[in-house]
Amino acid sequence: MTRANWRDPRLGLLILALALTLAALSGVQTVIRRAVYDVVIIVDITGSMNTRDATLAGRPASRLDFVKAVLRESLASLPCASRVALGVFSERRPFLLFEPVEICGNGAPVAGTLDALDWRMAWEGDSHVAAGLYRSIEMARDATADLMFFTDGQEAPPLPLSGPPAFDGRIGDVHGLIVGVGGYELSPIPKYDDSGREIGFQGVNDVPHENRSGGPPPDAEQREGYDPRNAPFGSRAMVGSEHLSSVREPYLKSLAETTGLRYVHLETADALSRAYRAAAHPRALDAALDLRPACAAIAALMLLALYILPPLLSRLSANRARRAERLRAPSPKPERKAA
Amino acid sequence: MIALGFDTPDIFWLAPLAAAPLAFSPLRIRKTAAIAAVPEDRLSAAIAVVLRIAGCAAIAALLVGVAGPYRTGALVDHIGEGAEIVFLIDRSASMNENFAGRAPSGDEQSKARAATQVLRDFVAGPRKDLAGVVGFSTSPMLVVPITDRREAIQAAFAAAARPGLDHTNIGRGLAMALAMFRADESGRSRALVLVSDGAAVIDPHLQTDLRADFKKAGVRLYWLFLRTEGNARLHDIPESGADTPQAAPERHLDLFFQSLGQPYRAFEAESPEQVHAAVEQIDRLERRPVLFTEIAPRQDLSTPVFTLAVLAILVLTLAKLAEIPAPVRRGGAS
Repeated sequence: MTRANWRDPRLGLLILALALTLAALSGVQTVIRRAVYDVVIIVDITGSMNTRDATLAGRPASRLDFVKAVLRESLASLPCASRVALGVFSERRPFLLFEPVEICGNGAPVAGTLDALDWRMAWEGDSHVAAGLYRSIEMARDATADLMFFTDGQEAPPLPLSGPPAFDGRIGDVHGLIVGVGGYELSPIPKYDDSGREIGFQGVNDVPHENRSGGPPPDAEQREGYDPRNAPFGSRAMVGSEHLSSVREPYLKSLAETTGLRYVHLETADALSRAYRAAAHPRALDAALDLRPACAAIAALMLLALYILPPLLSRLSANRARRAERLRAPSPKPERKAA
Repeated sequence: MIALGFDTPDIFWLAPLAAAPLAFSPLRIRKTAAIAAVPEDRLSAAIAVVLRIAGCAAIAALLVGVAGPYRTGALVDHIGEGAEIVFLIDRSASMNENFAGRAPSGDEQSKARAATQVLRDFVAGPRKDLAGVVGFSTSPMLVVPITDRREAIQAAFAAAARPGLDHTNIGRGLAMALAMFRADESGRSRALVLVSDGAAVIDPHLQTDLRADFKKAGVRLYWLFLRTEGNARLHDIPESGADTPQAAPERHLDLFFQSLGQPYRAFEAESPEQVHAAVEQIDRLERRPVLFTEIAPRQDLSTPVFTLAVLAILVLTLAKLAEIPAPVRRGGAS
């Protein structure tokens, strides 16, 4: 005579496990929101980015090579369906190489383009960082993407006394990072001849140290040969340290403040990814989440519980019962002692 | 080659748990005073074995299911038509003008947009090309290395319709484009498609280098010359005295290309329609059979695994339902 014992919890576990496995078999899934990122990446390729004050695998490396290595690793950690566009900055504008592309499917060509970035691509030697940044922000806004702008912040020629041009965009339109590249110590900038061969470093006389457009500095009257009409900046060329380079952090931070971007100093790919995600404006993407593994995992746990728990429990309770019995009927040894 | 794969193979560290049914039983253990009291019964022994196997199978199958089994897509060789093509695209500012040499107004297209739109369609078609893109203006720029990823190539074409830069330094652009063809391993035929609306004098030293590079790369050259209204045609011979590379750079570039000893064709296009026709012709000329490999999509193997698990659990459930309830102990109070 068989009669099911519906009160047995083990039967309940079996039926639940069966139901979950059937659910897995039917292919249950749910829709979840995922954050993916769209980003326009602009890399400064002007002369000062050739400064070798970075370290890659224990060797000195140029800032540009450092950017490429870190960026390559950082891009690989973006979630699939994120889109990346890559461009270069020189003179006073960004130049986009390709429009945003999905990063997982096109990882190889994107990495190839990144590797090929070279100062020789630059169409002019000037480096108007603020102007380039503003136009990059515009570009990112039109692409409805975030911006990552890599630069050492060295304006060449130096900014006039009036400071950088005014930012006419709107704060909050574009999110993203200004990434400061380069060491904090001044380093010499390599110099190249017309055919692109390195021929030493920039000398103090190779670059202008003062911008003479706009008004003269307030101390001009004390300068040698000052003449209010003919030599408002004095008769001698200013000598400064513009032929050397370090990351211009205070300047880049002030640019970040005016444009609503965040500033971060380039250190590691992890730090860059974290800073980017904190600053970014992710796009929500509905993606199917496969629930079959979860269902199967719970069903497996139930079966294991079914097999392992009751015998363990009964053994435990049996042990307890035995101990209790022993206590109630004291063993003969202490009896003898008492006697 | 067909191979099995798992999304989370780490799950198999738990595999020994599948042996639990060999040690324990979910059925009630019936205490019998003497096992000898129960007659030996082959059927019972068989049922016991079946139940243990079902238990092991259920847990094992569920673990495999959690790991996410699939059959990796096999590499499948196909034969298609295509070539290895490098597109060398003029990014000088004049490319942003229309074919009449003015800023495009209304629904007019700039030369850059007209050309890149046609090229995007070309890449989107059924062709199986490997393609790369080089841009050039004052300096050459590697835009996308040679790849089979069409989306990246199309993104590069899309960006090429944006405002360009200053000059037309065609010589260095050609040098970079030729350098993109590496030592041959694909066995594909190679083509270089130059898209420009003008030309410039190529430095004589560079000309010598280019000749050697062209020969070494063994490419067929196509020049899609986007002629602006009023500019000289390639075959117009200027009056004597004005026939210098400086005065007629396009004609002299054409002559240089003809002198390379490599297959070469120039297309003059004066409207978006003519660009389309020219690219169609390149499409026809560059159809060579190519062997390409595709990864067949992977095949999910969860269904058979879960089916097995369902059957095994079903057997266990039926056995549990068939259990004889324990006899009520009478007067057995301890």
